[in-house]
Amino acid sequence: MQSISFAYRQLNALILGKPLQIRLALTCMLAGGHLLIEDVPGVGKTTLAHALAGVLGLDYRRVQFTSDLLPADMLGVSLFRPDEGRFEFQPGPVFSQLLLADEINRASPKVQSALLEAMEERQVSIDGQTHALPKPFFVIATQNPDGQLGTFPLPESQLDRFLMRISLGYPSPESERALLLAGDRRQALSALPAAMNAGELLALQQKAAQVTVSSALADYVLALLLASRKRELFMHGLSPRAGLAILAAARAWAMLDGRDHVLPEDVKAVFVAVCAHRLQSRLPGMNSIDAAQRLLDHVPLA
Amino acid sequence: MRSEPRLAHFAVLAALALTVLPLFLQLPPWVPLLFALQLGGRAWLAWQGRQLPHRVWLLLAMIVPVLLLWLSLRTLVGREGGVALLLLLTGFKAFETVTLRDWRVLLGLGFFLAATPLLFDQSLPSALWLLLSLFVLTWAMVLLAGVDSAASPRAAALALLYAMPLMLLLFVAMPRLPGPLWSMPTMDQRATSGLSDSLAPGSIGQMIPSREPAFTAQFRGRQPVREQLYWRVMVFDRFDGARWTAGSVPDSGAALLPGVAGELSYSITATPFKGALPVLEHAVWAGEGVQQVAAQLVRRIDARNEARLRYDVRSVAQAAYPAALSAEQRDHYLQLPAANLRTRQQGEFFARQFRDEAGRLAALRAWLQQQGLRYTLSPPLLQGDVVDDFLFSSRQGFCEHFASAFATLARAAGLPARIVVGFQGGEFNAGGQFWLVRSSDAHAWTEVWLQGRWQRVDPTALVAPSRIVSEVGELVPEAQAVVPVLGRRPPQWWHTVHAQWQRAGFVWQQWVVDYDARRQQSLFQRLGLGRVGVGSVMTLLLLGGVLLVLPLLLWLLWRRPPARSYPVRGWLLLVSRLQQAGVAAVASDTPAQLRDKAVLLAPVLQQQLARLLADWQQWRYAEGATDADPRWRGWWWQVRRFRPPRLAAKKRTGR
Repeated sequence: MQSISFAYRQLNALILGKPLQIRLALTCMLAGGHLLIEDVPGVGKTTLAHALAGVLGLDYRRVQFTSDLLPADMLGVSLFRPDEGRFEFQPGPVFSQLLLADEINRASPKVQSALLEAMEERQVSIDGQTHALPKPFFVIATQNPDGQLGTFPLPESQLDRFLMRISLGYPSPESERALLLAGDRRQALSALPAAMNAGELLALQQKAAQVTVSSALADYVLALLLASRKRELFMHGLSPRAGLAILAAARAWAMLDGRDHVLPEDVKAVFVAVCAHRLQSRLPGMNSIDAAQRLLDHVPLA
Repeated sequence: MRSEPRLAHFAVLAALALTVLPLFLQLPPWVPLLFALQLGGRAWLAWQGRQLPHRVWLLLAMIVPVLLLWLSLRTLVGREGGVALLLLLTGFKAFETVTLRDWRVLLGLGFFLAATPLLFDQSLPSALWLLLSLFVLTWAMVLLAGVDSAASPRAAALALLYAMPLMLLLFVAMPRLPGPLWSMPTMDQRATSGLSDSLAPGSIGQMIPSREPAFTAQFRGRQPVREQLYWRVMVFDRFDGARWTAGSVPDSGAALLPGVAGELSYSITATPFKGALPVLEHAVWAGEGVQQVAAQLVRRIDARNEARLRYDVRSVAQAAYPAALSAEQRDHYLQLPAANLRTRQQGEFFARQFRDEAGRLAALRAWLQQQGLRYTLSPPLLQGDVVDDFLFSSRQGFCEHFASAFATLARAAGLPARIVVGFQGGEFNAGGQFWLVRSSDAHAWTEVWLQGRWQRVDPTALVAPSRIVSEVGELVPEAQAVVPVLGRRPPQWWHTVHAQWQRAGFVWQQWVVDYDARRQQSLFQRLGLGRVGVGSVMTLLLLGGVLLVLPLLLWLLWRRPPARSYPVRGWLLLVSRLQQAGVAAVASDTPAQLRDKAVLLAPVLQQQLARLLADWQQWRYAEGATDADPRWRGWWWQVRRFRPPRLAAKKRTGR
């Protein structure tokens, strides 16, 4: 647990003025989920992804997604070895503990779906052979908001693979001032000490999965799911997978609080990050984040 | 999604205002005006999000208008008083309307208020207004139920549509009271006749400019000719020199013998005037609810009931009388006061000159025609002996002058005579196949006993024949229909629209308003049900209702959520207790949020609340937590005892 708070402090020292987003990102990692960071360019998406990889002590690779990227560029290829007379698999960047998929929505749908399949299955099948991905395996994808030129928006079915979507947003004036006066981010990033290693992270994940969820809390999550399906706020309701995702994230959040059981406020804390990208608001002039918040404001605890 | 509650609140207030709009015509105007102000004030408070006044203030504020009401109406019960009081109290109710339940109560009052204009007026426009009110009230109800505002008009229309069959069934089958409702005063009777129980110069003249409908008549089979439509209402046979009244001497000649050819069969819908109802000459048969009385007039059986009714009558073209007048009757119909000497002398002259009665009458008619009398609705005021003054001096007048003069003259000439007051003519509505008779058709004429029967002599027709042939409006400018904007000579299309509107009103009157106990029974009989008692209808309706509702109840019972557990009930109670104290708590708050919102409570209460919340959180979410925990019962009782007092307004946390 001390390692987590150390990681938390390190991240906060690097990314200024965004403690909530950092805590959500850590929660996502502890729940074993993939993270999508959506924001305009230049607010520190990639820095956060790098920093997370660094403090969690994960071996990471970065792929800059472009429109001409091919699935093989990411997954790897089978090469023929004339000397050995057989094909040998050359693993691509996806075979790492943490893959930074930068600007995922600039890649073609083909590449996107190859990646998202790997995220879900945690394995890659090439030429009839299945290759397991390392453990732990995380994808932190960053994307620019829809509507920017040259992007392929991810379909909802694929967005569902990400446990959370967070946005950093512009820093507050004081944070930005501090940022302007501080030294080189890149240097600070490379100097970031690892707070744990992959094995410790796996242990923490297991511990998080054991946080108690009482039947009353399950009822509360169920009420949220049912309310989302009433077709008044949203096009489609939340799926059962979304329900599991809420619980996983809420457990990790509770653990960060040092509790052994989940409270409704944990659910409330993670709900928007976990659910907003899985929902489409029906209400004109209200985005899915506001609509998800509205849902939280209307579903009683009991 | 849920529409915003405030929108629904405005809708309820607006619907209430709309509903009572017709009452402006019926009550002292300040009452509905005050009601509108009350609703407006409540809407303003809701708009500003302000606190409602305390109940004590409301109670005090209520005294003044109720006192005013008492002063202006001298009563707080009955139709006017009751409706006005209900209106004012509903207005005050709006100021203690806070919760959803309160708003529903207010809306329910609105549905009740919507029916009150019917106590004053049951015409077609009122019904259309009621329909509009029902729609707007239902719409407000739909909004209050949380339906999205865009979908709400449709939902309201559907709800009304679903209710329609039940409404129709209840209208047709619900037992009618034989008398008027709750001994209410007569509805909108627009003085059927406006006739008075005596005839003096001017008593009919004042009615003629009025185009108010007096009654309607519908003929079956043979249709009458307009000139022959003499609707008799009252007969006057005593003259005191200025005024004709109904005498108490037994009737003239006789029970009528069954008629000869040329029978007219018709129904009339009219409001009785002291029991008297219009009927054509030579009525030989009258249907249910009315009776034939002396002088072939028709009266309502229960004379004191002034409600409008529909009755069937048959008249013949000529009627036969059994015998001559008795000596007593003859004296009665020849009675004359000492006044009007010149007229009497003139009559006596004719009596000497013409021995033959028929010839005498013919001479009288001819003489009258030669006097240069002029028909006008604004004759000069008569002085002294009114008949002499009219016949020999002013020579201007209208039907009642003519009738009075001719009857005097005939009596002086030894011919038994009497005056009939009623209506002449009417307007035929071809679309609806009915005659509409207006106040302006009021008329007076004479009947003379000759050759064993009463013969009609209309002196007005002798002097001004056009008065009988054409509508009075063409003769007398005052009685012309003046249409707003279009003026005195409206275009043809206006006549068409007007006739259609009258037809709709007639149909409405015939089939809806006049659907009384009698017609209900005849409908039941036509359906082959025989005579149906009130008891059996009520039993059937109740039974049918139960049978309809039972499956619904069973279904609701079956899908009723399981009883709520102590922690759930306790949680909702706790939140509502905090709300009552003025804390902006909602059931979706977490315990920590509730604690933060309750910072303005007294420290002791905050501690109590914190303990309750901590227990709730611990026992509900920690490992092994279950709603079946026996500790919950004690916790529930603690919540019930937790009653934070209301915070002062300025300390309240805003929403």
